Amino acid sequence: MASGSVEGEQSSLADDYDALISTTDVELLKRAWRNEKAAPEILRFESDLITRVREQIELMEETVEEKLTVGTDPLSVSLYQMDLDRTLFLLRSYLRIRILKIEKYMFHIRKTEELWNRLSKDEKFFTERCTDDLKKHLEESVLSKLPENYQSYERQSVISEEDDMVPEPRLDTFVLCRSKEYLTGIQLEDGPVDDRSKLFEMEPDVLYFICYKSIKSLVESGKIDLL
Amino acid sequence: MYGRKACQLVKEFASGEKGQLTPFNNDLFDQVVAECSQHHGELQSLIRKMQEEGLDVQTARNADHYGALIHLFSIVRNKRCLTAYVYNRAETIRNLLWKIGPVIPKEIEEKLNHWEEEYFKKHSAALKSYMSKVLVDLTVDMVPPKDPYIQVRVLEDIREGIVLSDDKNPNFARHSMHFLKRTDAEKYISRGLMEELTG
Amino acid sequence: MAGQSNHELSLFSAEELEFIAEDEIVDIVPNLKMDPLCLISGDFGPFTPQIVTQVPLWLAIALKKRGKCSIVPPQWMSVEKLTQVLEAERDSQEMSEHLPFHYVEISRLLFDHARDNISDAYMVRSLIEDIRDVRFHKVETDLEAFNGRTIAVKIKNLSAMEVNIVRPFIGRALQAFYKHDSPDLIPDPERVSDRRPQVAPNAPRRQLRR
Repeated sequence: MASGSVEGEQSSLADDYDALISTTDVELLKRAWRNEKAAPEILRFESDLITRVREQIELMEETVEEKLTVGTDPLSVSLYQMDLDRTLFLLRSYLRIRILKIEKYMFHIRKTEELWNRLSKDEKFFTERCTDDLKKHLEESVLSKLPENYQSYERQSVISEEDDMVPEPRLDTFVLCRSKEYLTGIQLEDGPVDDRSKLFEMEPDVLYFICYKSIKSLVESGKIDLL
Repeated sequence: MYGRKACQLVKEFASGEKGQLTPFNNDLFDQVVAECSQHHGELQSLIRKMQEEGLDVQTARNADHYGALIHLFSIVRNKRCLTAYVYNRAETIRNLLWKIGPVIPKEIEEKLNHWEEEYFKKHSAALKSYMSKVLVDLTVDMVPPKDPYIQVRVLEDIREGIVLSDDKNPNFARHSMHFLKRTDAEKYISRGLMEELTG
Repeated sequence: MAGQSNHELSLFSAEELEFIAEDEIVDIVPNLKMDPLCLISGDFGPFTPQIVTQVPLWLAIALKKRGKCSIVPPQWMSVEKLTQVLEAERDSQEMSEHLPFHYVEISRLLFDHARDNISDAYMVRSLIEDIRDVRFHKVETDLEAFNGRTIAVKIKNLSAMEVNIVRPFIGRALQAFYKHDSPDLIPDPERVSDRRPQVAPNAPRRQLRR
């Protein structure tokens, strides 16, 4: 440390640091859970966060087990158990929403590199199995019975120029969001009406209903939270 | 009219209660499939006719060209309806897995066709394999957890058949109050022998 | 097959809203001695009789149910504060900023589990209900002001429960406006007048809900 005179500054830095680390992983998981629930498309898998939360869950499971064997008072054991149950619910629900999104848009996710890269290793494996199974099911039940030029599950016929039969999420859905800081210069996309080419501003802690497409990148960068 | 049966098939699915399945309509389904082959036959013969007349199939705009187009669109429309029928039923089948688990009750099984049964089994295996890899059971905890214990008051003396998960044997005398696991208390509450206390 | 909406995925259930609200921090006065709890969601305690400490609402309710503490209702849950809020809500079209995002869930949880800790509980409850009603009415009036030029809606101080109620409506309405405003979807005016000759050509566009 250069000199003692910056002590005040140091302690405020330390405060910031405290504020930063005092955001618990459960809080972060809750945020990821809310974003995933509210976003129409699948978001990036929070790999590091999930690893940390799982470690904490395991540790807590051991702690509860230990407290039970040494005969700690049942009251505090039941409180530890409740805390554990709440965290487990968030983890399960987070993973479940992602699996439900994958089930719903599996073909689209599998063929879109950007989305594919957002999945965890296990999710990728699941998606591969799912798409193979559903493709086979469609082929056996319908497609193989149709004339030769119409047997693709992705395209209506051989003359289709793009994949015109793959369901994808609607990114023009309106979502509810909130920003932590003052944001300016948000481009509202794709509007034929003049207003839409204008830039949009967001005040901190005010709720906005807005087209998901317009704020997609801000959700990805963590600047905006969905509710 | 072309496409009417396919439309009927889709309507049949759409008018059903959400999340419920009606028996797979093999009869109508096969009729739509047969329609597709008929259209395809007509389409081929119109193209052959144009070729025999020395016309360029890509650029000629005569009656046969437009006739062929109608058959092409009819096949595509029928295909979309057939696929939508199977695809949406498959979605309902996947959702059943979340609701009732990997064993299908007889009354639902009867509504599935052979391929749907296969699909259900395969998808269920895929989900199971995912869950065993992440070591988390996703089929439980569908709603947020509540305090596992509740406060109850006994409304009538309960003397016999008391079974609690913690092997304790409390005295459930009338008007006595207890702190029990919700799962233990529920059977007494539903029989009107206890009431839950709040506030 | 394409373009199905997924509203059922994006909504929070009433239970989930309550779950989120249960993480709000409240003051409690314990009547037992207990070591600090080092939970995944944070460290709380130590617990000493008659010494106020701060815990999440779920923990407060669990202790209260077991007769181990009393809960100090949050400041805004007093007759005095709520009377002020109600007046402010009635005087202005703006939503009051003095209530927390989860005021509906927090007050319901406290009424269900810690009624005896709320002074003038009856009065407090009826004030909160009045405030809810006034606010819902305001939200409805706000919705009437929507039109096809609405691209984003700014809502100050709307609570979680209110959000959940208006969400499906606003989401779908905005989506519909957005879609119908697209020029290639606007039908040919001649065809429209052919089909509906009774409509005068200069008739003003009908406003929503007016």
